[in-house]
Amino acid sequence: MKSSSGRSPLARFVLAVLAWLPVTFVVWYFAAPLILWPATLLTDLVARAGFGDLVTAVEQNAAVVTFATSLKAGQAIAGGVVAVEVNALLYSFGLPMFAALTLAAHEPHWLRALAIGYAVLVPAIAWGVLADFLKNIAITAAPQVASQAGFSPIQRELIVFAFQFGSLILPTVAPAIVWVLMHRGFLERIRRVAA
Amino acid sequence: MIRFFVLFLLLLALLFGLELTPWAQRWFVEPWTTALARISTSLVTLFDSGVQATGKVIASTSNGFAVSIEAGCNGIEATIVLLAAILAFPAPWKHKLVGVAAGIVAVQGLNVLRVISLFYLGQWNRDVFEWAHLYVWQALIMLDVLVVWLVWVRTLPPVERDAGPGPPPASASAAA
Repeated sequence: MKSSSGRSPLARFVLAVLAWLPVTFVVWYFAAPLILWPATLLTDLVARAGFGDLVTAVEQNAAVVTFATSLKAGQAIAGGVVAVEVNALLYSFGLPMFAALTLAAHEPHWLRALAIGYAVLVPAIAWGVLADFLKNIAITAAPQVASQAGFSPIQRELIVFAFQFGSLILPTVAPAIVWVLMHRGFLERIRRVAA
Repeated sequence: MIRFFVLFLLLLALLFGLELTPWAQRWFVEPWTTALARISTSLVTLFDSGVQATGKVIASTSNGFAVSIEAGCNGIEATIVLLAAILAFPAPWKHKLVGVAAGIVAVQGLNVLRVISLFYLGQWNRDVFEWAHLYVWQALIMLDVLVVWLVWVRTLPPVERDAGPGPPPASASAAA
């Protein structure tokens, strides 16, 4: 069934999402230092709680989160410690996707939906950033650095899984899940029109 | 709804974990990615003969530019998400199988477009390539998954709501 405008609600929705995506991507990119700040705070909290012996500070500069560690850089740089930089944009591009989906659905209380969705997605971003840091020090770092981190083989496997999940699945799936959960009425209407 | 989401997340974790095993990498992911490179190259050579595929690498023979299709760009993760969403959703198996087959074609079809577009964007402008590669195409592929799943849900037969404790209504069971 088509709507009175001649397009199905789903087609109109998809077109609206595609129209909103450039806008939300631009806002996300330029507002990243502010938008990512809560995720950095959460990352800092979790890193210090779970890896307090490794992480001495977590700082954010624009969209880059820097982990200062207690790991020695090696004999070549006497006295130096390892710092790891993570591009948080890599784990937060689901935010503009979620915003475009929410704005395109144009449901009542969309602002509240944006706020709740953002709050729910912040931990997913923190997951990705922290897993990237752990992957750096446990897997891709030079052997003399990775050995200082002291992770067991099982822990290293878990870090690899957490990193892959946090980079390949979470950034895109989490926004879709949150959006679907918050727009069940919208989805019901789309299906009802089709029936 | 809770049953659907729990099943979806379990299937997602299971399929994704399976994908990461060395066995799946060797016998499924690598051949799949190689096939993707070959299909993309075959399409490109229809209008640009100076392109060749070697394994998972697509290269220009005229300027030497090459792209390697890595994890996240072979469409396997997006396909896994779609599979988990379709298999977890309460629907007749016949509909699920049709949805899985059509969904794989839809997701991989757009992924071929992603690979080809990135190959040319990379030769044109490296910054635009990075943006499209790391952010824009990732979102578009997942949007594709969501839309394919929504279209599939629309094709399902109506739910018998007064036939006892059957599957929940579509809206209360949706996820992607």
